[in-house]
Amino acid sequence: MCKDYVYDKDIEQIAKEEQGEALKLQASTSTEVSHQQYSMPGLGEKYPTWETTKPELELLGHNPRRRRIASSFTIGLRGLINLGNTCFMNCIVQALTHTPILRDFFLSDRHRCEMPSPELCLVCEMSSLFRELYSGNPSPHVPYKLLHLVWIHARHLAGYRQQDAHEFLIAALDVLHRHCKGDDAGKAASNSNHCNCIIDQIFTGGLQSDVTCQACHGVSTTIDPCWDISLDLPGSCTSFWPMSPGRESSVNGESHIPGITTLTDCLRRFTRPEHLGSSAKIKCGSCQSYQESTKQLTMNKLPVVACFHFKRFEHSAKQRRKITTYISFPLELDMTPFMASSKESRMNGQLQLPTNSGNDENKYSLFAVVNHQGTLESGHYTSFIRHHKDQWFKCDDAVITKASIKDVLDSEGYLLFYHKQVLEHESEKVKEVNTQAY
Amino acid sequence: MKMEEMSLSGLDNSKLEAIAQEIYADLVEDSCLGFCFEVHRAVKCGYFFLDDTDPESMKDFEIVDQPGLDIFGQVFNQWKSKECVCPNCSRSIAASRFAPHLEKCLGMGRNSSRIANRRIANSNNMNKSESDQEDNDDINDNDWSYGSEKKAKKRKSDKLWYLPFQNPNSPRRSKSLKHKNGELSNSDPFKYNNSTGISYETLGPEELRSLLTTQCGVISEHTKKMCTRSLRCPQHTDEQRRAVRIYFLGPSAVLPEVESSLDNDSFDMTDSQALISRLQWDGSSDLSPSDSGSSKTSENQGWGLGTNSSESRKTKKKKSHLSLVGTASSLGSNKKKKPKPPAPPTPSIYDDIN
Repeated sequence: MCKDYVYDKDIEQIAKEEQGEALKLQASTSTEVSHQQYSMPGLGEKYPTWETTKPELELLGHNPRRRRIASSFTIGLRGLINLGNTCFMNCIVQALTHTPILRDFFLSDRHRCEMPSPELCLVCEMSSLFRELYSGNPSPHVPYKLLHLVWIHARHLAGYRQQDAHEFLIAALDVLHRHCKGDDAGKAASNSNHCNCIIDQIFTGGLQSDVTCQACHGVSTTIDPCWDISLDLPGSCTSFWPMSPGRESSVNGESHIPGITTLTDCLRRFTRPEHLGSSAKIKCGSCQSYQESTKQLTMNKLPVVACFHFKRFEHSAKQRRKITTYISFPLELDMTPFMASSKESRMNGQLQLPTNSGNDENKYSLFAVVNHQGTLESGHYTSFIRHHKDQWFKCDDAVITKASIKDVLDSEGYLLFYHKQVLEHESEKVKEVNTQAY
Repeated sequence: MKMEEMSLSGLDNSKLEAIAQEIYADLVEDSCLGFCFEVHRAVKCGYFFLDDTDPESMKDFEIVDQPGLDIFGQVFNQWKSKECVCPNCSRSIAASRFAPHLEKCLGMGRNSSRIANRRIANSNNMNKSESDQEDNDDINDNDWSYGSEKKAKKRKSDKLWYLPFQNPNSPRRSKSLKHKNGELSNSDPFKYNNSTGISYETLGPEELRSLLTTQCGVISEHTKKMCTRSLRCPQHTDEQRRAVRIYFLGPSAVLPEVESSLDNDSFDMTDSQALISRLQWDGSSDLSPSDSGSSKTSENQGWGLGTNSSESRKTKKKKSHLSLVGTASSLGSNKKKKPKPPAPPTPSIYDDIN
């Protein structure tokens, strides 16, 4: 007997099961905090790391040349050919293919096609795109199939002309979401609360709208699903900036220069209580009368990937122009002050959080920026993509070059993509393992 | 030692320290052992090596960071020759032109509906040869290479001939008529052929007649408008053209002989004046626009034939035909088919006109 330790699969399996049982017992007997839905990781269920199976091991053994996504290697980066005014599409593709959680989903081959004809499935095409972009091939990819599918499934986008990247993003997410469920014709209402597709898991947040009756102070709350947050900018006809920009010191470590508006300023404005005015009286449910009211928007549920859209293209009755005001945005963002749960503390003036609040669950990291150069009528989109921590690259259609963090933060910013730093379990749903994203 | 029974406060410092040390050692040992077991298990089960990559081949993928090169070490802007296969028509298309191609291919463009309408009108014919022909608009489209060689050449020669009327860089002839019936939409002047037809309801018989001597005139089923293309327009057959003329001009109407865009058989003098007024012959004031009320000088501006010699050559040909305008009038408005008249010497035109 060699006295070496042995690992027997069956025994391990039994041990795992027993352990799981024990943990469950532990969770149910602990005192429940009634209003909190989440369970602390480790107490409810145990999520083991993925392990290879025997046949996978053999396969891997036969193929010793493996590729890793590691810093200083080009694996994961690839240019995209402009098919004729399709720079807007290329930027969104770069942003989506560098979304860590989406990347993990597709590269681990988790898409099961539900569509009646897979050639028309946009999710399958997405999957293929990931394979192409992570192949290590230096020659730029030609996304003609993607264009074709998008034109077929989102007719309003079809046509050879310059288009808006944000509009493309929303349309693409919508088609992907429908195709995840195998729905070709778009019959099902989009964003139903019961959808559990990967798009909804990642991008869908809950925007809470509270309308407070001025008379009886009764609050009527609605929560709408949203895929992005569109922010008004100072200087637009429709915007109203009651506070001077940069008045409160930077919550999120943004470069705070007086006179420069920050993303946090925009968010603050977005979530401020707004008096609706006497021309827009609503019928209050509790006091049954038409009253003036205030409305406030906050985030009820934060998505894993938050997309912020600066409304730079103004189409008002007076004029059509592009607002080029520089907005400063941070590498890391804490969304806690903009949550519905923080409304109380905000009203009391406690907007600022201590920098190390210890609560990481609302913290985000920037991973993609889409920029537009030019005018309303004609311009060009480029994007900055974060490939590794502190490693950024500029994607200009077919040309990818290294970029500095300063380049990224100094850019004008049109679409900003932030990824949650810590992902949580939801015990009822089958989810990914709790990962530290960065 | 029964830990439970002893009270910690009763111990002196050294004992406390010893206990603390023991706990610390236990913790460190546990974590180390745990780590060792992990590695041991990985090796035993065979997945320890998974993290390794092949360092030699990975060198190919190192990021390059030099000005003028992308991260792969490639020069910018060398991707003009990339091609792809259109999923709709299965043709090989240059990648950078794929979007405009796909727009036409799927029938989504501004002109595509017009093209489709022509095809519908076409498919109602029995004439097989015409249904094979591509729409003329595509000639200008670089990537529509389908059988374009012959047709392009053919069209080009026609283009040269028809230049005064249908110069691609000038507004259409129909624009003068547009003034009349005000119904035409502003067509893209850079397309070879007219994008809209003419609504015939508002045209008088004289106008119609003159129109039909120079234009195809076949009425589109879809738009109910007359085709403004040349008499050799490939979208419509000669039968159709004859039928239209019979419909408008009576049973004796005859399809004009087509050698040029100008057919002279059925001109009245007034019409010829009006017609001439629509032309601009090298901007020459010899043919100053007569005010027939139906045309405006402004309409003629875009028609400038320019001053290059090739154009003047064409105008000479034009003039030669036009010279018959005057003589044709003496024949009245009978629509007999005439053999192509021989070209008289140039100066005679001015004699006739002036």
